[in-house]
Amino acid sequence: METVLTHSDISVIQLAVTAVVLPFVAFLLNLFIVPRQSKLSGVLSGLAIGASLALSVFVFFEVWNQPALHVQQIWFTVGSTQIRLGIWLNNLSVLMLLLVSAIALPVHVYSIAYMKGDNHYTRYFAYLSLFCFAMLALVVVDNLLLLYAFWEMVGFASYLLIGFWFTREKAIQANKKAFLMNRIGDVALLTGIMLVYTHYDTFDIVTLFGDHSLATAAATATATKSVTIAGLCFLAGAVAKSAQFPLHTWLPDAMEGPTSVSALIHAATMVAAGIFLLGRVYPLFNTEVLTVIAIVGCFTAFMAATIALTQTDLKRILAYSTISQLGYMMMAMGIGAYSSALFHLATHAFFKCLLFLAAGVIIHEMQHLKRKHRLHIDAQNINNMGGLRKIMPVTFITCCVAALALIGFPLTAGCLSKDGILIQGFAWAEGKGWAYSIIPIGAVLTSLLTAFYIGRLMFKVFFGESGLEGISADSEPEAHEENPLLYLPMILLALGSLFPLFSLNPLKFESAWIVKGFADMVNKTESSGELVPFLISALSVCVVLIAYGVYVRQKLQWLKFKGVLFNMSYNQWYIDTFYNGIIVRAVVGLSRAASWFDTYVIDGIVKLIAGTGLVLSRISAWIDRYIIDGIIHSITYFVKQAGNFIRGFQTGRVQGYLFTMLIIVLALYILKTFI
Amino acid sequence: MSMLSDFMFISAGLFCIGIYIVLSKRNAIQILIGIELMINAAILNLVAFGKYDDLANSGQVFALFAIVLAAAAVAVALAIILNVYRQYKTIDPAKVERLKD
Repeated sequence: METVLTHSDISVIQLAVTAVVLPFVAFLLNLFIVPRQSKLSGVLSGLAIGASLALSVFVFFEVWNQPALHVQQIWFTVGSTQIRLGIWLNNLSVLMLLLVSAIALPVHVYSIAYMKGDNHYTRYFAYLSLFCFAMLALVVVDNLLLLYAFWEMVGFASYLLIGFWFTREKAIQANKKAFLMNRIGDVALLTGIMLVYTHYDTFDIVTLFGDHSLATAAATATATKSVTIAGLCFLAGAVAKSAQFPLHTWLPDAMEGPTSVSALIHAATMVAAGIFLLGRVYPLFNTEVLTVIAIVGCFTAFMAATIALTQTDLKRILAYSTISQLGYMMMAMGIGAYSSALFHLATHAFFKCLLFLAAGVIIHEMQHLKRKHRLHIDAQNINNMGGLRKIMPVTFITCCVAALALIGFPLTAGCLSKDGILIQGFAWAEGKGWAYSIIPIGAVLTSLLTAFYIGRLMFKVFFGESGLEGISADSEPEAHEENPLLYLPMILLALGSLFPLFSLNPLKFESAWIVKGFADMVNKTESSGELVPFLISALSVCVVLIAYGVYVRQKLQWLKFKGVLFNMSYNQWYIDTFYNGIIVRAVVGLSRAASWFDTYVIDGIVKLIAGTGLVLSRISAWIDRYIIDGIIHSITYFVKQAGNFIRGFQTGRVQGYLFTMLIIVLALYILKTFI
Repeated sequence: MSMLSDFMFISAGLFCIGIYIVLSKRNAIQILIGIELMINAAILNLVAFGKYDDLANSGQVFALFAIVLAAAAVAVALAIILNVYRQYKTIDPAKVERLKD
């Protein structure tokens, strides 16, 4: 366990810590020192994350496929239990470190242009840096408690950024919803951590889940019930953070935040934290939990894809697409395609971030048109768009790359990762009975649906004629992509969505370096379905063509835009309605009942006691006033009267006194004589 | 030879006159005179009883002391009356009421 670290190892760890802390420094500076509205804040945050990226790249090349680095020191001691904290750099950590900073940098650059002129420019970058810090820290820490702390912190940063435009009622509703939904998962995660602690007596991730770890031994030996429950708790935490069914409804609403935030947090990085968590604690899961993960992931992927088919809000479509893709990764985790899941996480981060950034540009353009022509339209509704490819060629091309990557078209990064998942899915289901093959078939269906909805999105936005009356591409000659800060990040991300970044061989997912890096974690499976990816690609192309026919040519009229299925999809499977109708109403009803109980029973008892006290005190006040005071008053009255009576003798006349004295003396003599 | 009882009667009469004067007069000087009468009644008694002490004549001697004391008391009383007059512009004891509470 205790290996002596060389000097270079220590410097690598120091660099990794620096990479993590730099955004935090930017956050503090932006929050306390940089004046409000200063242009400096964007540059500062951008520089911080840029430096983080540079350090991450260095750390990555030092650690990747090398023995994991681990340093720790005692954090605090409770009784005889020592809680240690430290940094654990293995392949997974450095991959995430690199990925997060690599996605965050373009988003920062984009934000500098995108948020220009916003009233809370500095605050935006402060939050963004806070998020980056929390996310980077989350991936490198080696302690479940710290992991939980940063897990909460990314959630909090996400909350702040969803509600960034806090004057909008919808944004406030959305960030509350996101926060509450995540809370459910957080409670589950905390429960899971406690269960793990009770079982293994440590929070240390390396001891728990590293090589030759406790959990590995336990999972292979006897799967106890508490380990299964702990696994399910971790899963629930991941489900909330990664917006999986049934806790996914916060993510579409979270699109109320700035689009660049959606790109970074709600598409590429934070939502992937759930998948990352599953990857971190992977040895904990036994077969049952893995099956549950696969089912949840597959169902979410399918459900979200069907919902994305009919949504009209540009960002909502992308949000559901994100949910669907996260479901894919979750499913991949469940079926044991650990490396493919992380590979898909990495590729998805690039193209989904790109799609969101493009959406931001498109929405800006639509708002510009809206202002220019004084229209009362929803700038995010794709029915109002159309023909934008002539106005915004760069956006169009980069979007095409991202969409193809999402579909899994050959030569893109998405193709590699998605094929990996599908092939391993079929291999997993093989020989396990027909029920298990539902999962890979569901995945295939989802991927076809994905092709359709992203095709629909692309055709509605970029092709055909504008959905607005009297506005065509010709009447809008000026290009609105003049700001290189907006489209440069998009081009970079588009390049990242192509295959060369991940693999030299565009058709074989096994040759991707990420997959190789995690090969030791994967149960070796013979890739049986070599034909599967080609078949799916072909089908996807067909589906895209159908979408083209429906939305551009408008020839194929057999798709009904009404009916039960359409309504179900359009209303997002009525899940929100269900939550509002059943759970929210139940909670509200319970609160009302509690409030009634409080008002009438508790308050009644309190009032009764108060009334009794009041009556008692009235009685005692009466006794006090009339009896106690009466006695005292009568005594004083008697004394006063006696005094007054005796005072009468004091005439001040000497002769009177003398006379009285004489009479008394005489009286005494007379009495003495007679008695 | 007069009887001891005669002296006693005269003395009692003098005392009664003195008391009457003290109680009834509206002039402090007159009251003082009344007091002197009462003192003299007492001195008369002393002298009368002194007849029974032939050897030391202590009755006579005591009477002399009493006369001297009475004279001193009169001097003090006259001084008080003078001061009372200065204070109240009257020597009627009924009008000097400030002794009451």
